[in-house]
Amino acid sequence: MVGDRDTADRYFEPQVETMPRQELRARQEKQLLELVEYAYANSAFYRELWDEHGAHPRDIQSIEDFRARIPFITKDMIRAYRSRTGDPFAGLLCVPVEELTSVSSSSGTTGDPEFFAEIWQDAPPLVTAQVRDLWELGLRPGDRVLSPPGTFRNFMDAGFQALGAVVIEVDTWMGNMPEVVEALRTYRPAYLQMMYPQMVELEHLAEKTDLREAFSSLKGASCAGQPLSRKMRERIRDDWGIDVYEYTSAADTGTAWECREHDGFHLWEDTVFAECVEVDEHGWHDVPESDVGELVATDLDNRAAPLIRYRSEDLVRLSRDTCGCGRTHARMWVAGRSGDETVVQGRSVVLRDVWQAVEDQPETVAGVFQIVRDRREVDELRLRVGYDPHLTGDVDALAGRLSEAVRERTGVKPVLDMRTEEDLLKTMTSVAKFPRVVKT
Amino acid sequence: MARADTLARARTLDRPELAYLLRFPTADGMRDLELTWAELARDTEWVTARLREHGLAAGQRALLTASGFEGFWGHAVIGALRALKVPYGIAEAMGWDHRRTAVFHRELTPHAVIGLSAETLGGLAGAADIGEMFRSTPLVLARPAAVPLLRGVGVTAFVISAVGPALALECPERSGAHVNAAEWRFGERDGQLTVAAGEGRTSPLPETPLGITGRVVVGRCGCGSDNPRVLLAEAN
Ligand SMILES: [Zn+2]
Ligand SMILES: [Zn+2]
Repeated sequence: MVGDRDTADRYFEPQVETMPRQELRARQEKQLLELVEYAYANSAFYRELWDEHGAHPRDIQSIEDFRARIPFITKDMIRAYRSRTGDPFAGLLCVPVEELTSVSSSSGTTGDPEFFAEIWQDAPPLVTAQVRDLWELGLRPGDRVLSPPGTFRNFMDAGFQALGAVVIEVDTWMGNMPEVVEALRTYRPAYLQMMYPQMVELEHLAEKTDLREAFSSLKGASCAGQPLSRKMRERIRDDWGIDVYEYTSAADTGTAWECREHDGFHLWEDTVFAECVEVDEHGWHDVPESDVGELVATDLDNRAAPLIRYRSEDLVRLSRDTCGCGRTHARMWVAGRSGDETVVQGRSVVLRDVWQAVEDQPETVAGVFQIVRDRREVDELRLRVGYDPHLTGDVDALAGRLSEAVRERTGVKPVLDMRTEEDLLKTMTSVAKFPRVVKT
Repeated sequence: MARADTLARARTLDRPELAYLLRFPTADGMRDLELTWAELARDTEWVTARLREHGLAAGQRALLTASGFEGFWGHAVIGALRALKVPYGIAEAMGWDHRRTAVFHRELTPHAVIGLSAETLGGLAGAADIGEMFRSTPLVLARPAAVPLLRGVGVTAFVISAVGPALALECPERSGAHVNAAEWRFGERDGQLTVAAGEGRTSPLPETPLGITGRVVVGRCGCGSDNPRVLLAEAN
């Protein structure tokens, strides 16, 4: 049964995970003050920027000082520094390159990828910060896991193995789902990491394969890179019997996972200082806890190249209330990306509405679609939509229905480019991301 | 330090000896084999010595391209790079990720590119001159299918390849890829390679035909090693 397992030792590091907020805040304050000193002394990027803003570490004695004086940084500022100086690490690096263990990068689906400098011992940083999440999911020593689809942010294996899990080497990338199902039956793993396209592929197998039986050994599976639609999530949970854990990026400082309560993504606040703000031409302010704002993140556990007050462009709601799981670390709910909204002849169109219309057609229920636009404000809403050829008799008839459904939801009649799901998913250039908004 | 504390706690767990269950294609389908931490440590040591022979040393950088299911040899290569104090960048070996390989290559100027695939080269070929790109890279360790493509454009490429459960690595002599005789026994039958586990391996593996066309060369190599070499048809 989904979610049915021993809950006695739920926390991997109980003291940290359930730390009272006051203590957590004191800990963050200490970490922030050290970080500011460290970054100013060692990073050319921060020293230059903070000098320009008259922000000096000696004036920063509290979280309030930090927030009042340290300026935000953006992806564009990092890119600009990089192209001006030719430094691939954009002046963020606080140690000589020789001291790094590895360098991973963002997916680079929109422009050059950004580098993430890593220093580590037993396991790379991204997966190490997932160990608590995997423990919560139920992973325990001796359990088996299938190897993940890619090496996107370094091999993940060492993180699983740190928990005593044994990695089964199976190619879990797109196109291999029949083998994955066979491996599930043979090796009975406890955990599997999936990405959105694998889910779509499995959906196609569901007709002729007993997926519920195949997945029955899983304590849980994770899915990242794309929020699952409500329908897809129900399918995975109710029909396939998988307790699915979504996770998302914690503004490039790590990841944020759902716990077993499945009520928001937990940030690990001993690794990240999170702010939820609204920025406009006059400055910025905190948004109330029930409102959506932009996630601004500061790395608290990264000596290589920390991000400090980094504007993620992720629109989230943030709550610091204790979760049903007992953890005190904040949770966030992702509402979208700033810039995802498309303005068609003055009318605002949001992804969610398009998504709903696409999912409501049986042939496109997997929700594989993209908005094609070269800028935010456009004259027509161009949609590329993937359909399941096995369920589609008449593509034109589907397009007619879909067009009407999109118009009803958004008020805009779209220009449709119908492809098979497979064709559309094949255009992916990352294991991490199926882009919803593309330029061409 | 948060992550360090997490890992310290993890070290107190009662963890198994087993690190991987690796799977590899044979002439008769997929087969699996257990891989322990002790074996991984020996594999890492062996790869470290091979990369050192190629002159890899502190102060240099490397680029590794690999897939998620290649951790069993990726672990040994990464362990070797760490031992040699060579930071590495990492990208997928799949063709569609060629852009990241190109950016890492341009920005990190790696001394060594390890695990280059024919798929990556195929992706790169659209936008770059492969020869120009890699001729200036001192050490290119490429997968068998990529080797002829690289040598065809004047790149001195060396072979790196998983051969069944073992890793084969060409030495600077470039006369076949060495396999570790202390761990594996390689043979040939009807022009195809076979492998069996050596005595020290935890998981027994009787002589198994791999369905890989190639030859085994025994006897001392020009590099001084007595480890046998496999000559893979695909790489020539
Ligand atoms: Zn929770
Ligand atoms: Zn040799």
